[in-house]
Amino acid sequence: MRDGNWQKFWVNMSEEKYRILLSGYIDNELSPDEKQDFEVHLEGCAECRKELESFRKLKEVTGAMKYADIPEQVWEGYWSSLYKRMERGVSWIFISIAAIILLCFGSYHIFIDFFLNSEVPLLLKIGIGCGIFGLIVLLVSILRERLFAKKRDRYDEVSR
Amino acid sequence: MTKENCDDAKLMVQIRKGDQSAMRELVERYKIKAYHLALGMVGNKDEAFDISQEAFIRVHKSAGKFNADQRFFPWFYSIISNLCKDCLKRRAKWESKQIDIDDNDFLLVTETNPEKIILKKEAARNLRKAIMLLDLSSREIIMLKHFRDLSYDEIADMLKIPKGTVMSRLYYARRKLAEILGEYE
Ligand SMILES: [Zn+2]
Repeated sequence: MRDGNWQKFWVNMSEEKYRILLSGYIDNELSPDEKQDFEVHLEGCAECRKELESFRKLKEVTGAMKYADIPEQVWEGYWSSLYKRMERGVSWIFISIAAIILLCFGSYHIFIDFFLNSEVPLLLKIGIGCGIFGLIVLLVSILRERLFAKKRDRYDEVSR
Repeated sequence: MTKENCDDAKLMVQIRKGDQSAMRELVERYKIKAYHLALGMVGNKDEAFDISQEAFIRVHKSAGKFNADQRFFPWFYSIISNLCKDCLKRRAKWESKQIDIDDNDFLLVTETNPEKIILKKEAARNLRKAIMLLDLSSREIIMLKHFRDLSYDEIADMLKIPKGTVMSRLYYARRKLAEILGEYE
């Protein structure tokens, strides 16, 4: 960088520093030294004065607003509705366990009855076996894709 | 000792042991806070309510993982914040268009003077739109400072970032917000 560029760079850097202090200044979060330093800069910097004014306006606009609240009776019923949800969560766990057990049991019996049955033609066994195998591979592949997508999602920020 | 005098970490220990009344006390203590924090991030009352409840369910489920030396609120906040992020991600996935924020009056005017109220309502609508156009981390810090009036130390604690970062993040967020609002004028 040429000398002039360096100078410009440093001026920009220190201006950026004061801009950030501006936030602390308006929120009363600066140390006495920082505050004094900033006030001296403010005297001579029209840009900072302009931005300070726009931030003050912002504070005024937001200060005239509050979060929308929900009716009191909803708050009163909050715990009971939450409790129901927690209970339901527990029942889902049990239902899932039951479903898995039944599914395993059922498939085991189908396997025994169908594939170990000597009356069923071999060709039919092979055909159905291939079909089931294909379905399992597909299922695993979809599951893996979903899991992978979920993992990746966690790392990129939502910016909208 | 009554539950009301218990600090949060002690309540968590009791929750871990399966004490339902400790859970209830914690919920009473934080339900409104949780709702407001979520509302500021997702901008929709129903979703915010749902997130607040889901956050408590997670607290209940992972009470075993909570370390008694840890402070409860920053931990709880990170649960809420993650749920909000998931919610926004789902929304971005399912809706190609921007949601109509005008229908979701998540910020209301405090003005009672009928002459001023129309003007303020217009300003509120613009502000709601502008806030939802901010990126997530800007929106988060604006909501914490402007609508919860937390100190920089408190915000640093919740977001697990240094105090200096709070100041700079807040500066850039305000600049963005002022820019967006400027376009509406
Ligand atoms: Zn300046």
